Amino acid sequence: MVLFTKPQIVVLPLAMLMTLSGCSVMRSYDDELSQTLNLVGQGHIDQAITQLESNNTGADKDLLYYMEKSELLRLNKQYKDSISTSLLADHLVDEWENEAKIRLGAVAETAGAVLLNDKTRRYDGHDYEKVMLSTRLALSHILSGDWDSARTEIKKTHEREAIIAEVRAKETEAVEKESKEKGITTTFKDLNGYPVETLNAPEVTALKNGYQSAFSHYLAGFVYETLNEPGLAAPGYRQAAELQPNLKILEDGLAGLETRPSLLKQGETDVLFVVESGSAPALKSIMIPVPVIVSNLGVIPISFPILRTDPTHTTAPNMVTIDGSNNLPLATITSLDTMSKRALKDDMPGIIVRGIVRAAIKTTSQKVLMDQGGAAAIAGIALNVANVVTESADERTWRTLPANISAARAIIPSGSHEIVLPGTSTKQTIDIKGSHALVVARQVGNQLYWSQPIYGNKLPGYAQVSINKSPDVADQIVKKKAGKKKKSSKKK
Amino acid sequence: MNQSKHLHVNLAITLALSVALTGCATKSPNLSSGNVEYGDSKTVETLTNEFGSTDLQSIAESMSSSLLQSPVLAAKSRPLVTVAEVKNRTSEYIDTKSITDSIRTRILKSGLVRFAVDTSGMQTQVDEITRQNQGNLYKKSKSKKIGQMEGADFRIEGTITSIVKRADDVKDVYYKFSLQLIDNESGVMEWADEKEIRKTSNKSLY
Repeated sequence: MVLFTKPQIVVLPLAMLMTLSGCSVMRSYDDELSQTLNLVGQGHIDQAITQLESNNTGADKDLLYYMEKSELLRLNKQYKDSISTSLLADHLVDEWENEAKIRLGAVAETAGAVLLNDKTRRYDGHDYEKVMLSTRLALSHILSGDWDSARTEIKKTHEREAIIAEVRAKETEAVEKESKEKGITTTFKDLNGYPVETLNAPEVTALKNGYQSAFSHYLAGFVYETLNEPGLAAPGYRQAAELQPNLKILEDGLAGLETRPSLLKQGETDVLFVVESGSAPALKSIMIPVPVIVSNLGVIPISFPILRTDPTHTTAPNMVTIDGSNNLPLATITSLDTMSKRALKDDMPGIIVRGIVRAAIKTTSQKVLMDQGGAAAIAGIALNVANVVTESADERTWRTLPANISAARAIIPSGSHEIVLPGTSTKQTIDIKGSHALVVARQVGNQLYWSQPIYGNKLPGYAQVSINKSPDVADQIVKKKAGKKKKSSKKK
Repeated sequence: MNQSKHLHVNLAITLALSVALTGCATKSPNLSSGNVEYGDSKTVETLTNEFGSTDLQSIAESMSSSLLQSPVLAAKSRPLVTVAEVKNRTSEYIDTKSITDSIRTRILKSGLVRFAVDTSGMQTQVDEITRQNQGNLYKKSKSKKIGQMEGADFRIEGTITSIVKRADDVKDVYYKFSLQLIDNESGVMEWADEKEIRKTSNKSLY
């Protein structure tokens, strides 16, 4: 491996990068969002939004800011504002998609990450966050009564998943190649002191990948079924059942697809209850001494990210009660806690390679300066301090996402219903209209946030054709029937 | 003489003005970032091995040609056909309605058959005819009457299935699209055909 021999070559860009990246190197995203989430958990959603704004005062807002804000706005029932904010985030993900496709743009920033840490990279979002962004947008569109726009977002989700699969396959290949070239064989299992069990848990390894969720695909099935497109609903339900096997609600989605339209009568609504709990796990940085065989530099402490689960996420309700008597069991169909661990597990080879290369460059340049003595040695000490200060893993992750997503589904009479989650004190009256509806509840800390769907002029239609008989039309039908009776009696 | 001179000057000015004004209009503005270009919609697409535009076009072409050659359609004068569902039994989000729409368009262009509104369009049909017969918005003589819809002689229905296999660096996808024409009155299947597609790719494509 070719390393820098002239220390100024490293010191100058390092100083420049520290200046350019500014607070991003020193920022603790976990601390910021812990405060925001505490406010959400206490029911102070407006203050949580204000707090988020105060932590993002720069003119150039990043993807993470838009994603966090859109989630807070949706909890505050500001669906239109949430949608417009999500679309700004979506625009940034589109840019990433275009760059990922043509393999340009990201190169300079990756070099920065090699010298400092992953915090200096532009935040492109974890793969599951990109997919979730489209899913959350679809939820907001449905809650604001716009099923057609929800369909657009659902379709985008499939296309995004395909791009991610392609990009990740190529990246994995590139990391494998780089590891081989540099002789790096370290895996996360070799990191002494790393909580390996978090990434090696059976539920983590059982996932197909870190970005496809059963919830996103089930919601796709539900949206397509609502819009009377069973040909597209079927793969949605099928993929959901494949991603999270042996869950009755997911298996019933596909099994009942052909019969449900005929069972659903006018005046009834097929309702999907979605109950979200907790918040997505926090990323924390830990230092682990790693033997750097590159240039025989010995054991060097390198920062790595670990995931800390939200302790409240296990308190997810297991039932939803409608009008005091109808108890529907809730099934956890997606755990973003588990998905984020799977995503980190898949990202670890790249993080390890970048960490080792970064450590090798920093240590070599520092050693060269120290060996020169005099003023160069002072620069070497300064570089050492800078290395210690800046060596910290990237803590950025979409924290306002829920830890778990549970669902239940039932056909109930259209109209007003009182809905309760056992174990919580608040009863919520929700108006249900149209052939299909969505009810979302989110539990954060002690607080329960209910969605209140907005219904426009265009409600989801019934597959069974309905005839709204006005007096004129009814009169024509009666006359026709009478005419037929006369004819048949004449024949007799 | 002077009058003639004025006339010529006026004509020249009018001509110059009209040339100046219409000059630009004859040339369509070409706005381009240089990164976008139009392509041939019939180009064979093999970017990935997922269901794509070429698959849709080849299925529509194959099925419509086969159906139009079927003697059952020629036996009746412009029979009325409706499109029922094509069931998607794959794990891919394939818009089967888009496939049947293409097949229907090709068959309709032949002039041999007519198509009745299908189930997905039935509510719109009922809403429209109900609207025309409600209130006093339409002339009674001009509004379309309730009870005049025609029942289809035949229905088209089908399935699309796939088998996906992976081994080492190779992914193999096999699609089978089956279509049937069923006589609505007798329940007899009068025509059926299949279109098979196989796509194989190496690891870099999935």
